[in-house]
Amino acid sequence: MNLRKYLTLTRAGIIESLQFRLSFLVMVIGNILYLIVVYFLWKAIYDSAETDIVNGMTFTDTLIYIVLASALFSFMEMYIVWEIGRSIQSGKIVLDLLKPMDYRRYLFWSYSGTFVSQFFLTFMPTFIAVSIATGGAIPLGMNLLYFAVSVVMSVSINYSIDFFTGTICLYTESIWGINIMKQVIVLLLSGATIPLAFFPEPLKTIMYYLPFQSIYNAPLSLLLDGNPEPQKVLITLGTQLLWCIVMLVISRVFWKISLRQITVNGG
Amino acid sequence: MKTTMKRKGLIFYLRIYGKILAQDLKSKMSYRADFIISTIGMIFTNIAGFVSFWILFRNFSSINGWGYYEMLFLYGFSLVSLTPVQCFFDNNWSLRQYVYSGDFIKYCFRPINLFFYFQSEVFDIKGLGQLAFGIGTIAYSWANMDLPFDALMLLKLIVFMLTASLIMISLQNAAAATCFWIQNSFYVLDLVFRFKDYAKYPVTIFSPVFRFIFTFVFPIAFIAYYPSLVILRPDEVPILSWLSPVIGVIFFFISYKIWMYGATKYSGTGS
Repeated sequence: MNLRKYLTLTRAGIIESLQFRLSFLVMVIGNILYLIVVYFLWKAIYDSAETDIVNGMTFTDTLIYIVLASALFSFMEMYIVWEIGRSIQSGKIVLDLLKPMDYRRYLFWSYSGTFVSQFFLTFMPTFIAVSIATGGAIPLGMNLLYFAVSVVMSVSINYSIDFFTGTICLYTESIWGINIMKQVIVLLLSGATIPLAFFPEPLKTIMYYLPFQSIYNAPLSLLLDGNPEPQKVLITLGTQLLWCIVMLVISRVFWKISLRQITVNGG
Repeated sequence: MKTTMKRKGLIFYLRIYGKILAQDLKSKMSYRADFIISTIGMIFTNIAGFVSFWILFRNFSSINGWGYYEMLFLYGFSLVSLTPVQCFFDNNWSLRQYVYSGDFIKYCFRPINLFFYFQSEVFDIKGLGQLAFGIGTIAYSWANMDLPFDALMLLKLIVFMLTASLIMISLQNAAAATCFWIQNSFYVLDLVFRFKDYAKYPVTIFSPVFRFIFTFVFPIAFIAYYPSLVILRPDEVPILSWLSPVIGVIFFFISYKIWMYGATKYSGTGS
């Protein structure tokens, strides 16, 4: 595997995403507004509760969890379903398939530049802001390393799910509907909307057996735990690795089978 | 030219709308799978919204003095008042593509109101699922709150919902219109679209500064909170609640002017 050709795509992606400086500004304003709303909302919620700790989470825990979940979301959301869907509708997919690179890889690496710029422009500032706003409530130790490893696997699982969902567009000619269903399922069942700890019992157990919690809940719970037991870390990361492989295989196989379905009008 | 355009009455526009709507529905029906999947997607969104709401209230019995059914009412109210923007103004999402590709010029050559013609081209049926869901939520919470129900209440509810819907329409119009000046207005639209989710919380949870911002600058508090007070807390209705219909109309007018101003500045792509 020649890494150089992939990194070229990454570089192009960074340059491309830095072109839209105004949209970047809008995004920053949006994020600040969002942080404010989330802060006040959860503050009001916790003020109304009788206890400081609900389901093992304090107000600051919940705040960090929710805010970083949304930062992770804007960092990981690559609009892959739209990209694949549009390519299918316009017929551009044929040109992409002719490229001397596997389509799944090509798509990932051409978006990897956005990853890099989003990481530094959205995720890091949010992380620092939340860390300062909560008075250094994010523990700084080995958990940061676990978190980093975990996020890498989150990206992989998330990409596999996106690619799988995008492949469905080969059959349905519906992009919006398919994408919104995926988004709703992933955001709710991964704990990105409401921390997993708040879910009622049978639901919580079911969610731990699904791949979605590995995307948001796994890295975030690793980050918030300042003194993690080695066993817990191993189980969390192991589960993630398992889902990485399973989802990778499923999305690849599904794509291979579905490619036979392609019909492009004219071109 | 301008005077003849003014003379065309409401009846004329309603007739035109009916005709364009029929064409749009016909073309939508030819993509039946897409229609069905999108409707299911919309139902998914509403169910997920409800589930997260329910989970929240399993852990906390009230938020800022607002009980479960009151919050549910606010939620239902916001769903209903967000329906018109979904149904009638969905073409705003495509505006940036028309402007970018130059196709927008086709709208400029019709002898009818430009804004009207552009918006009338798309009717989004998915919104009707949300409407049904919202009405169901309101009815359910209403029945559980011992609120009186009579013709006057219903009239109030409808009037305040309609005017509340103008707020989101205005925000979206203004956000979409930014594409006449900047290249990629998607982020602006997406920002506004994301914030509608926070309309369902009482504005009293914010500190005074942000209460002001969410009331007058970025008026999401008028989507559900202020108008709902008229129904929910009839004894302590603030003046802003009574004013909310007026504010809705004013914001709509401003956004219409911004949109039209952008459109008149549009010079095409030259092809």
